[in-house]
This record gives sequence, C-alpha cells and structure tokens, in this order.
Amino acid sequence: MINDRVLGLVGLILAVFYGLGAQEFQPAFGGGGAIGPSAFPTLLAVLLAISSIYLMVKPDPDESWPPLKTLGELAIILGVLIGFVLILEWVGFILSAGLAVSLLAWRMSAKPKPAAMVGFSSSVFMFALFTYGLDLALPGGTLWGMN
Amino acid sequence: MDILQLLMQGFAVALTPENIMYAMIGAFLGTLIGCLPGLGPANGIAILMPLCFSLGLGADSALIMLTSVYAGTMYGGRISSILLNIPGDEPAMMTCLDGYPMARKGKAAEALALSAIASFIGSFLAVIGLIIMAPLLARFALHFGPAEYFALFILAFATLGGITGKNPMKTVLATALGLMLSTIGVDMNTGVERFTYGNLHLYEGIDFIVIIVGLFAVSELFIFIESHAREGQAMIKVEKLKLTARDILNVLPTSLRGSLLGFIAGVLPGAGASLGSFISYTLEKKMLGKKGCFGEGDPRGVAAPEAGNNAAANGALVPMLTLGVPGSGTTAVLLAMLVTLNIQPGPMMFQQNADVVWGVIAALLFGNILLLFMNIPMIGVFVKILSVPSRYLMPMVTMVAVVGIYSISNSTTELYMMIGFGVLGYVLRKLDIPLVPIVLGTLLGPTMEVNLRNAMILSGGDVGILWNSGITITIWSVAVIGLLAPVVIGPLLRRKMKAAHEVVE
Repeated sequence: MINDRVLGLVGLILAVFYGLGAQEFQPAFGGGGAIGPSAFPTLLAVLLAISSIYLMVKPDPDESWPPLKTLGELAIILGVLIGFVLILEWVGFILSAGLAVSLLAWRMSAKPKPAAMVGFSSSVFMFALFTYGLDLALPGGTLWGMN
Repeated sequence: MDILQLLMQGFAVALTPENIMYAMIGAFLGTLIGCLPGLGPANGIAILMPLCFSLGLGADSALIMLTSVYAGTMYGGRISSILLNIPGDEPAMMTCLDGYPMARKGKAAEALALSAIASFIGSFLAVIGLIIMAPLLARFALHFGPAEYFALFILAFATLGGITGKNPMKTVLATALGLMLSTIGVDMNTGVERFTYGNLHLYEGIDFIVIIVGLFAVSELFIFIESHAREGQAMIKVEKLKLTARDILNVLPTSLRGSLLGFIAGVLPGAGASLGSFISYTLEKKMLGKKGCFGEGDPRGVAAPEAGNNAAANGALVPMLTLGVPGSGTTAVLLAMLVTLNIQPGPMMFQQNADVVWGVIAALLFGNILLLFMNIPMIGVFVKILSVPSRYLMPMVTMVAVVGIYSISNSTTELYMMIGFGVLGYVLRKLDIPLVPIVLGTLLGPTMEVNLRNAMILSGGDVGILWNSGITITIWSVAVIGLLAPVVIGPLLRRKMKAAHEVVE
C-alpha cells in the first residue's frame, strides 16, 4: 500500500515539474507545424499524472523490502561499483576491475582468496582480450602514465 | 519465386566466411548467456550490443551476430531448466516441469538432446512462417500513414504488459517514464533543447544502451545479492547420450503442434515466448494426458514447451521487422540495435534494406542448424561453464557490460548513468513496475512524436485524424482490449503457470 502511494506521489511531483518545464520551450523559427516542442511532453506529463494519482488512490499490496542488513549489503555493492568508476581512469582497468570483481564475488559469499584470484585473472584476461584481441582501448591508468 | 530469389541473396550475404564466423560466435555466446540463470535474452543482447558497435562491424555482420545471440539464448534457457530446475529465462520455466524429473531419472543427456531438436524444429518452422508472412504484412503496412503508426505504437505499449502482466496502470506509468526519458536532448524537428539543463552530455539524449544495460543487467546484480537463493544447487550429472530414431519420432508430432501454437503466440502482440511455451505445454498435456506421464519426465513434456518458445521467439520478429513495433522486451532490444545501425524497421525496410533483412532471415536459418550441432555434441562445454558458481560469473558479466558502455562513449559519465539506472531498475522492480515499457518508450519516443506531428500537419491540427480511418479504429480497439485483458485473464493464467511450476518443486 504505502509503496505505491509514495511512488504515486513521486510520480505526480515529477509530472508537475516536467509538465511545467515543458511549457517553456519556444521554437526558434515559428514552430514545427501544428505541434510545437512542448505538445508531446505535455501529453506525457498528463499521462504520468493520471497513472500516479490512480496508484495513490488504488495501491497494490506491497512486496516486502529486504531487511536492513541486506540493504546494507546492497549499499556496499553500490559503493564498489561507484568506487570502481571513480578510480577506473586513474589506476587503469586491470587494477580497478580486478578489485571490483574480487570485492563483488567476496560479497556474494566467495572466500577472499579465490575471489581475488578469479577477480584479477579475469580482469587481466579481459584487458588483454579487448585491447589486443578486439582493438578496444580500455584505460591503462593515468597514474602509470598511460591513457 | 520472388521470395526464393531474395532468400538466395540473403544466403549470399550470410554465408561469407566472415559472417559465418560471427554467427558462430554469436550462437555460442547466446547459448552461454541463455543458460546462466537470471540473464535473459534481452540482457544478453544489451550487453553484447555496444561491443558489437565498437568493433566497427558492418550492419550485416552486427545484425547476423546479434540475431544468432538471440537464437542462442532461446536454446540456452533450457539447459539450466533441465539440469538445475532453475529456468535460465522466463520462457524456459515450463521446460523445468518435465525436463528436471527426466534428468533425475538419469536421462539428462536425452532430455537435453530432445529439447535441442524440438527447439530446432520450433525455430526452423517459425522462420519459414516469417518468410511467408513478413513480406505480405509489409506490403499491407505500406498503406499506413502517420496516424496509423501512432495508433500502432499505442497498441505496442498497451499490449506490452502482456496477458500475464499485473496492474495495467503500472504499465502506463512505466510507458510515460520511458517516453519522458526520450524527450531529453535537442528536439529533432525544432532544434529546441529539452530538459538538458545546459549539460552537454544530455544534448544528444541518453543513449538507450546505457538505459537498457543499467535497468536490466546492473539491477540484476542487486536482485542477485538480495535473493542469494541460487547457491548450493546440486547439478545433475550428464550421462552418455543414448538416443534412438524412435525417441525422436516419438516427440515429432508434439514438436510440430508446439511450433504452430508458439508461432501464433509470437506473432500476436503482447503474448510472446512465455505464453508460447505455456500454451503448447498445457495443450499437449490435455491431448495426451492419459497416455503420457507429464510432470514425471515425459520426453514430450520437454519437447512441447521448447518448440513453443523457440517458435514464439521467431514469430515475434514478424511485427518487429514489418511494422517496426516490437512485441516483447527482447525484440525491443533488437529494434534498438537496428535503429542504432541506422535502419528503421517497418514496411520500407523490405524495400530499402532488402539485403539486410534477407541476410538476417538467412542467418536465422543457418544459425539454427549451427545451434543444433552446437547443442548436441558440444553440450558438455555449456554444462561445464554452468558449474562455475554464479558468484564469480555475475561480477564478470557486469564487467563485460561496463566495458561495452565505456567503449561506446569513452567517458565515465555514461558509467555513472548506468549505475544510476541500475539502482532505479532495482527500485522499480521492487515496486512491480515493468521495465520493458520504459526501454521501449525511450526507444520509440522520437518516432512516435514525429508520427504525431506529421499526422497533425496532414489534418491541419485536427486531432480526429488519429481515429478516423477503419485501420486506426481497429488498432485502437485491440489496444484497449490488450490493456484491459490482463485484469480479467491475467490472474487466472498466472495462477495456473505458478501452480504447474510448484508441483515439481
């Protein structure tokens, strides 16, 4: 119940802001025929608003959210992914992807040692495959003076 | 005769040594992705698509490789159904019913081989159906104007929730979200910036590959962490194959019936492969109920759903190729691929890009023969890979997805967006909001707006043009039925599918 109500509320707020934003578009050269750039977005805002209000009035029964501990796990996974992108261009693909795969496998209940082994060997393999085999430039890492 | 000639031209495109190689790689990777639990065909194609583009493959090679991936995933789904009792993708759910019991009786190899044969029959017949039907439908669709197309897009969204979908309003909400995402960027008609907030990265809009990979593949990672349930499943050992011609003949009628039903389910909007396998299994059980041992490892119970879902998967290509209106998540991703290659599917494609279309059709025929051979003698390879625990495979697959995204943009901004869409996808899945309409919305949004505009220009601003012709009225009525049918039939069908599945567990 509460899930769908919150979703409906967020949807409605989004619809209002999106709809208002759409009213400001001015075509530069007298418009594109009968419909300008704001007509279609306005239509969408109305559609979203209707479905959001419906969900607030008639919500479905809730799916259960995971317990707090699992949410913590998910936050760690998210952290690993963001951390990976943060250091990707700096330390290069091999190190960052190796670290990311190891950490992810470890959080999925692999033992640390095999996780690290699988992680780094797969990142080396992928780097070699994509750089030399398929000619895709993956970041080598600015830290080591490579692009 | 015209068709045969075109098909020969298609084979000339598909059977160059280079394209044969790409078809083989695609079929192999597809089967692999299909048999990993959790990664469906849509995911597989989405992950491999950016790689395909950054390799600089030509339109025909890229298409041939990715359609082989598509065909491969449909074969792959059955492997984990039979050996682990976990469907590799949703359509393979019905294969668990008799496949797993059969494997437990020590007939795993036979179950795998027979299901491969049934898959082959299903796909092959459906491609032939596609060859006959597609040109006819394309010729008919030449009469469609912008108003008809606009209505057709509405139909696609309305039926997307599928007959098994839950709350149609959630499909509407998801569609609106997807279409909204598509309006970000510079408007192609008027040159006005919309919702870019001065951010250069948003001028060309958000690449839908980023959206697809984020919503499907990255969110799958979160779901996987949450469930943790897929571990420690004992895999059944595959013994040596003992298959006689009689065994094959025995499942032949079943496969033929399953193919026909599956193909019909595939062509109809909103039904798709899951329904195809469900219908063919249930009907076969009804027909042969007393003479067979369905649910306890009847070979025909393996053949029926496999023929059905493969036929449906190929049947679903009919509306996608001829009208440019995909009926399922996977065909939506295939459509994305065509659009990215600058090929607009629809009736005109059969004239303007005839070589590509027929090349793909020829590749489907050839790919299926390839897959049949790959899936009988080489089945051991896939079984080995499946025994690698998912806790190692999932992170690696995620990295491949990351490499793909990075290679099309060469910037980390897209990667952050991908992660963001991953989180969004997870939350939406928890809220029971379907993801496919979002993807389809971002994809079809621009075309839909153009058609709406053109219709308005034709009519001088009169909205009535959208429902003034016989064709449009028909399309609108089907759309309304499609949107409302789940409310009536949906709960019933879902309960039946679930009940059938629980019997085995």
